[in-house]
Amino acid sequence: MKIFIMPPNSLILFDLVERFGHEPLSLMGELRERVTSNEIEAPPLNVSSDDVKLGLKYAGIEVPSGIRGRLAVYGPLIDQAEAAIFMEDAPYSFGCVGCQRTNELAKLLIRKRRVPVLSLDYPENEDQAKDMVFKIKEFLEGLR
Amino acid sequence: MDSDIETRIVLIAPSSDLTPDQIARFVQNMGFQVTVKETCYGVVLEGPRENVRHTMRELRKLDPYRIYSKVRAFPAGDIRRCRAHHGSRPGFAQLEKEWKDLSLVEIGLICAERGERPPEPKRRERMPVNDLKKLIEEVEP
Repeated sequence: MKIFIMPPNSLILFDLVERFGHEPLSLMGELRERVTSNEIEAPPLNVSSDDVKLGLKYAGIEVPSGIRGRLAVYGPLIDQAEAAIFMEDAPYSFGCVGCQRTNELAKLLIRKRRVPVLSLDYPENEDQAKDMVFKIKEFLEGLR
Repeated sequence: MDSDIETRIVLIAPSSDLTPDQIARFVQNMGFQVTVKETCYGVVLEGPRENVRHTMRELRKLDPYRIYSKVRAFPAGDIRRCRAHHGSRPGFAQLEKEWKDLSLVEIGLICAERGERPPEPKRRERMPVNDLKKLIEEVEP
């Protein structure tokens, strides 16, 4: 099954989803074509006019362009998702590269699709790590 | 670029005895037409998708709980990312945080492999209002 991961560039989630026999839907996979295409000058910092239109499907015109541009990338992943795993408070969420508002909106769009969702925190100690891996394994095995 | 080409980041957990150099030599000796580039955190693999995945499966056997990977959007040595060309690494904060957490994930994976059910960990609870009041009174009596 196709699993949407949040943060969409998470190494831990990508690896665990693949280990347990599912297909992770990641930001890296979605950006691959954009960064290797010659049409855009400096991907992913620039978007094409098609991306801007595509973003409107996921966020209204009044939503800041940064969020709309990011959702143009996340959107097709959200549409394909058959389940999702969220890890909260990722360092990527904030700052000039990440965008917490986009992440919130992406999570909302996933929840609206009513697909199975597992929400977790980043582990801070061994017990939390054991619990996290156990929950991910149980969740992914239950999807088959 | 050919859509069948895949680029992968391979990370070695901090607790592993393997070095990026050992992994790079291992991949080169396999002879699967996969380009390997040594980095500070592990290696970058690039080549036909099936070859890269097969290489990854073989690599994992070296240290199953301490080798992790994910796909990468930018090709290996891309001048927009490569440090040799002063490329930027905007995703490095995330990668660094997760690299530090790999030692914990490894413990979780070993536990899951044994089929153990871990005890529910203690979650941080909200501070009771009375405790907060006491704290405030201590600071400003």
